[in-house]
Amino acid sequence: MKPGYYFWSGDIAAAEGAIAAGCRFYAGYPITPSSEIAERMALRLPQEGGKFIEMEDEIGSIAAIIGASWTGKKVMTATAGPGISLMNENIGLAAMTEVPIVVINAMRGAPSTGLPTLIGQGDLMQAKWGSHGSYEIISLYPDSVQETFDLMIDAFNYAEKYRVPVMFLIDAMLAHMYEKIYVPPDDEIVRIERKRPTTPPEETLIYKADDDLIPPMPRIGEGYKIHASGLTHNEKGYPELTPQAQERLVKRLNDKIRKHAEEIWKVEEYKTDDADIIVVAMGSESRSVRLAVDLARREGIKAGMLRLITIWPFPYKFIEKYNVPYIVAEINYGQIYHKVREYTRDVELLPKMGGEIHKPDEVLRAIRRAVQ
Amino acid sequence: MNPMEEMRREEEKLLRTDRLPHVWCPGCGIGITLNAFLRAFIRSKIDPNKLVVVSGIGCTGRAAGYVNVDSFHTTHGRGIPFAVGIKFARPDLNVVVFSGDGDLFAIGGNHFVNAARRNHDLLVIAVNNFTYGMTGGQHGPTTPTGAYTTTTPYGNPDRPFNIPHLAISLGAPYVARWTTYHVNQIQNSIYHALHKKGFRVIEVISQCPTVYGRRNDMKTPLEMMHYFQKNSVRKDDASFEELELSYNGKIVVGVFRDVQGIPTYEERYEDIIRRAKK
Amino acid sequence: MSEQKSMPPKKRGKVTIDEKRCKGCWYCIEYCPTKVLKVSEHLNEKGYHPPELVEEPPSKVCIACHLCELYCPDFAIVVEEIK
Repeated sequence: MKPGYYFWSGDIAAAEGAIAAGCRFYAGYPITPSSEIAERMALRLPQEGGKFIEMEDEIGSIAAIIGASWTGKKVMTATAGPGISLMNENIGLAAMTEVPIVVINAMRGAPSTGLPTLIGQGDLMQAKWGSHGSYEIISLYPDSVQETFDLMIDAFNYAEKYRVPVMFLIDAMLAHMYEKIYVPPDDEIVRIERKRPTTPPEETLIYKADDDLIPPMPRIGEGYKIHASGLTHNEKGYPELTPQAQERLVKRLNDKIRKHAEEIWKVEEYKTDDADIIVVAMGSESRSVRLAVDLARREGIKAGMLRLITIWPFPYKFIEKYNVPYIVAEINYGQIYHKVREYTRDVELLPKMGGEIHKPDEVLRAIRRAVQ
Repeated sequence: MNPMEEMRREEEKLLRTDRLPHVWCPGCGIGITLNAFLRAFIRSKIDPNKLVVVSGIGCTGRAAGYVNVDSFHTTHGRGIPFAVGIKFARPDLNVVVFSGDGDLFAIGGNHFVNAARRNHDLLVIAVNNFTYGMTGGQHGPTTPTGAYTTTTPYGNPDRPFNIPHLAISLGAPYVARWTTYHVNQIQNSIYHALHKKGFRVIEVISQCPTVYGRRNDMKTPLEMMHYFQKNSVRKDDASFEELELSYNGKIVVGVFRDVQGIPTYEERYEDIIRRAKK
Repeated sequence: MSEQKSMPPKKRGKVTIDEKRCKGCWYCIEYCPTKVLKVSEHLNEKGYHPPELVEEPPSKVCIACHLCELYCPDFAIVVEEIK
């Protein structure tokens, strides 16, 4: 897109952000509230010489983008909770075979079909633990249309840099909310490309990691004779079904994210410097919390907000940083609350089952209760 | 060196020989099918760097692990959509899905149906051994009615897919069926299919002596091979009924559809890009 | 038997068995048109009886038809033509 100001929804910003990040392949299946992302990609990708395909289901969609990623393209799919549930097996495949993909999850009220058009934040744990086994992914969650666009660039950069699935969370409110947004000139957008092997095919072990624990990724069609398997594999990519191979591979898959966690963490610390009470919030919910913090300050309560932008790997050092009581305000019955509780005992949950965010007043009352 | 010796030598180069012997049981027909595929590919003179083999899960799913080209062992049932992603992203590649009946038609059935409907430019080699071999011989979507498996101990009440008819009904431009007895015909069929476009389906009826044959009065690999030998009938214009497979009955083989000129999905999308860029 | 004197095939071949790869299905033995292979008495390292050549050619000679190669599921056979 030409640089300048636009009036976009979160869904459109996500699609345009992806294109700006270099995404040129999208496979997806319509689902509320993410369908507008697919519609935008169908319109825009062929204009950019990219490819859009509407698949027969979410499982096919994620399988197609994993395949396409091996050709060297930056790829994405978008869905909502029910679709993520179907995609989870292949998120595990992408994690195991180290394929950069970006998956958008526009969270809606759940479980099951739940509230298709209304907000939920019930997929925060699923984002990390959805597929079977021990693995790490990266998950990001913006709170505005502008941040959705900007953070999509980071999402693709992380996927490419760490060869990992990135689950990009938005919510039904953000997906359908229109705001003014600024698109920067193309040369101001920093794009990271995946590492490619620098050695000729006959000297290359395709799953041999560098010191940063990330192996360079060859492309299909260049003679590297790639073999990728969801089975536990060795540096050649060949199945090796032993505890030793499992230890080496699975540990590295996790460590390559854990050891780079601080580079991946993004949080917004809103009025936390002198805070006596901090509300942890994410996504659209934080817009209400921010107002509640301001209202509390007007009453003389030194409240602050810690907004998690990186959800996974969990930015725990920011919880440890403040020795104050916490409230976790989330649109579920306790998810990130448990994660915060790992790092502090003084934490209270402010839940909502879904359909709407907390009213600032509800958050304010919780803040008052906590400081009494 | 004569052409057959040359081919055998080339075949070794297309195998990940450091992984042989392979996992398949004595007499398993998957090796015969892979052998025929590699020979057909060598004859085609296609650049091996432009060949991609994608498999799902199961015994046949292991095929991708033995071919010394870009090859992917994906999740159960998802070989076709994975291959769709590769082919659509890089239409210049030759993408072959080499997988089994349970993988392609039960768990992956929806992908088969829709990829065929869209006419993606893929060659699907479907090895049909009537059973889930890797998990120990349960009945699957192609087990003949009446057959004995570990999950049909009183005989199979289920009805098998008629794979060629299914593929034809979806508009697949090339549809053939052989058994592993037909070593030359499989090879020729794959060779011809490699030069065609669109969603091409070759079903290879294959023996699983270990977990299917021995429960169904065919105790050795040779007995299964003899069954294919004695019961196969070539009929290219076979009807729906004739294409159906019955328990220990006739197996109609042949090339049932071979048409040209149906635009592939990839070709049609090139036109979409042209329109979008106007 | 002795009356069936057909024209001797022109080609002659040499069959080499890679015993490490063989799993003893014996398709090669079954489908050899001139029956030059038989089941061996020894076991390979995986415990299968690989095929071996019958001992007395020329009554049974390999005609380099390569059929055993095509039927072998284990990529264990190489046939070379003897010049």
